[in-house]
Amino acid sequence: MNVVFLQAFVATAVLLPLAAAGVLALAGWFGARLGERAISAVVGVTYATTTFVAAAAAVLGFFDGRPIVVDFGEWFAVGHYAFRWTLLGDALSLPFSVFAAALVGLIGAFSQRYLHREAGFFRFHLMLALFGAGVQVVVLAGGVDQLFFGWEVVGLTSALLIAFFHERPKPVEHGLRAFVTYRLCDIGLIGAAVWLHHAVGTAAFVRLDGAPWAGVHVPDAGSAWIAGLLLLWASMGKSAQAPLGGWLPRAFEGPTPSSAIFYGAISIHLGPYLLLRSAPLLDANPGFAALVAVVGGVTALHGAFVGRVQTDIKCVLAYASMTQVGLILVGIGCGLRHLAVLHIVGHALLRSLEILRSPSLLQDYRHLEQAIGRQVPRPKLALERFFPASLRPWLYRHALERGYFDAILRDHVVGRFLRGFRALDRLDRKFTSWLGGAPATETRR
Amino acid sequence: MIHLLPLVAAVAVAGASFVVGRSADPRISRARAVGALLAVAVALAVATILVAAAGVAHRPLPAFGLQWELACPDWHAAAPFVYLLVGVLAVALAPAASHPPRTLGDVLRLIAVSTAFVAFESALPLVALWALSVVLLARGLGRVDSGLRRAFLRYQLPGLAFAAVGAGLIAAGRAAEGAVCWLVAIFSREAIAPFHGWLPLVAGRAPLGLLAAFVGPQLGVHAHLALVADAVPHAAAHAFAWAGGVTAVLGAAIGLAQSEARAAIAWIVVSQTGLVAFGLENSSDVGRTGAVLTWQVSAIAVTGFLMTAAALEARRGALSLREPGGSFARTPRMATSFLFLGFASVGLPLTLGFVAEDLLVQGSVDEFPALVFCLLLATALNGINVLRCFFTLFSGKRDHIGEQDLGVRERLALTLAMALLLLGGVFPRAFVPPPARNAGGAPAHDGQPHGGAGAGHGQQGSQR
Repeated sequence: MNVVFLQAFVATAVLLPLAAAGVLALAGWFGARLGERAISAVVGVTYATTTFVAAAAAVLGFFDGRPIVVDFGEWFAVGHYAFRWTLLGDALSLPFSVFAAALVGLIGAFSQRYLHREAGFFRFHLMLALFGAGVQVVVLAGGVDQLFFGWEVVGLTSALLIAFFHERPKPVEHGLRAFVTYRLCDIGLIGAAVWLHHAVGTAAFVRLDGAPWAGVHVPDAGSAWIAGLLLLWASMGKSAQAPLGGWLPRAFEGPTPSSAIFYGAISIHLGPYLLLRSAPLLDANPGFAALVAVVGGVTALHGAFVGRVQTDIKCVLAYASMTQVGLILVGIGCGLRHLAVLHIVGHALLRSLEILRSPSLLQDYRHLEQAIGRQVPRPKLALERFFPASLRPWLYRHALERGYFDAILRDHVVGRFLRGFRALDRLDRKFTSWLGGAPATETRR
Repeated sequence: MIHLLPLVAAVAVAGASFVVGRSADPRISRARAVGALLAVAVALAVATILVAAAGVAHRPLPAFGLQWELACPDWHAAAPFVYLLVGVLAVALAPAASHPPRTLGDVLRLIAVSTAFVAFESALPLVALWALSVVLLARGLGRVDSGLRRAFLRYQLPGLAFAAVGAGLIAAGRAAEGAVCWLVAIFSREAIAPFHGWLPLVAGRAPLGLLAAFVGPQLGVHAHLALVADAVPHAAAHAFAWAGGVTAVLGAAIGLAQSEARAAIAWIVVSQTGLVAFGLENSSDVGRTGAVLTWQVSAIAVTGFLMTAAALEARRGALSLREPGGSFARTPRMATSFLFLGFASVGLPLTLGFVAEDLLVQGSVDEFPALVFCLLLATALNGINVLRCFFTLFSGKRDHIGEQDLGVRERLALTLAMALLLLGGVFPRAFVPPPARNAGGAPAHDGQPHGGAGAGHGQQGSQR
């Protein structure tokens, strides 16, 4: 197969979703009245085509044996600095691309009926199309710079979809909470890109000898630690790792289909994806790899305990997702990278199906009970029996309080910063009043 | 050197301001103002293309004992258009109640002064125009509240005095001292800490169109590039860069503590001007170009953001951030433009703001590695503030409270601004200016420090 065809397939997998999102956005801005079918058709056709081209690139690329690199050239350049747009189709990105496009398409098809006559039907599909485009950019990016581009889009669409039911205060509050976490953790990603430029002159992915896929360049030991910690910080925010994961159960306030694809399937796995791209840093620095495993392990335990005391299905699923992603991080930290990829795909498919079915849980239980002719038995105390009875109440309390992480973050981190900001504001008003001669009450600040 | 085309455009806008100011009906006045600014922008664009095609854009034209040139230099070619677009946004979205014809006339005069500003590169005319713009805003503020005018002038008059002293020192051949005086003046004008207090104060009560026409063009940036760049001693440049960086973080942090939309947006503006001020003190082409682009993006995006808030305020009354009070579904275009322009100003991917901030950060990391991470934090906090404002202003209400979405003129102006930012985000090469020249006329070099001493590693971003 001609390499140009392969490059065209990879480029189409990114450009087509972007174009679809652009078309929908323009239609919305200029007031074109698209019917539900037309909107669904745009999303469906786009992602079916994307799935096809990404799958074609994956299969043909597998036989070709070389990564597919699409270089769009310099996007902009000043002096010696140039931002190049490159896409990379390799053993890691192409399976992710296929799987993400197929899931976005399926969720689009599911939502056509699920959100039928919902006031925000258009808005949901626009956000879904934009999210899908962002994901394609993340997974097919040829470097951390380009990856950041899609990463931000994913974060913004996630927050806007959590706040989809904007007439109620809670979804909006939770959307903002998720965005705050994303935004603060995104500093890690852009910081890593900047630091890699500073340390090795580029943030592009490169395939080392013997490595299964391309990853970031490895700088000297000190810089490797800095870049690694920044990338881990970015991953922790996006993948709801402890202690930053409190936004995840709250994020399920959004429509069920978006919860399924964001927090069951794709968005939550972008953190592990980033760490898989950072594999050279993990290999070069066992301390950093151990840290990744520890973060994942702590999150897995936290999610497992907290999930067991939740009383609504979406919170249970949220903590189950958190647990599994924690385990994926343990796998990545321990060097089991291929297993981690399989784990991601399996978990994403199962969890998104569970989340999609969650609104019908009671009905499913009823059917199950009718089929077996009695009540569904309660699960046995599998985990608890390993702990002494004296420890169980403490663990129970710990789980009920969600590990106190939220309270600690609220009272001792965010609260302190906000109090500090307010104190700064008061000081500034006094200073302005003194310097400008205007009483602070004269303004509406 | 005097650039003729922006000067002619400024005279045309100034002429139109008198017609606009004398209209009896605020709506007719607004329509005339928008029409005049668009007509001048189109005429300027056509003239710029024609002189470029004829090859006479930068041919020296000695007359009246002065050196004239038709077009602006390449590094500054976009500035008059940016200012005119700022003017279009400031008048098209100006609420009629708070912007009577006289105020709209002042808005146009401020835009005319800004456009004339880029026609000059010597200190004396810049000081005169600078003073004129201060007088114009002070006059407008005086109509609202004499105390507000007094407070504004207490910040601006010392700055103006520094600019005049700086001009004198430069004329006397003491470039370094003159440049430092100019920097103090620029910091006072651009609301950089510790001279930032006037901006949130004025934003709390001033007609926002008037404020946008004063703040949006950021005349201090042109003054910096024309008079100051590379004449500042290295240590002073670093100190001023830190002041800019601290302002960026301070503005972003205090912005989050605000409970009124006007104040929150004003602090975002303070933070953004801090970023620009930081970037201008960079010794690398990349960082400085990023600063110039950030300034141009901020001018358009922040003005649009501010004026969308003004349009919403005209419909709803004072905009509180204490609790959600709107409905996205009722005013979708206003909400979309508010969100888009807010995020464009803080560097959202797919907008020109992303390109600007990427250049700014990548160009600064070698010289200011610690400060760059503070700037990333400031940008993150500003993004959070934008979404907080959006959610609070456009969510929480189920009922229709009678707000109308954007009118035709408002939508046209915002579409123009958003299209430019979006096109710039997708095809940035056409929008990234060539590196700004030094005061001495030669392009700045990567990694070469101010005043020929000190920092800079020489390695910039990814190698081409």
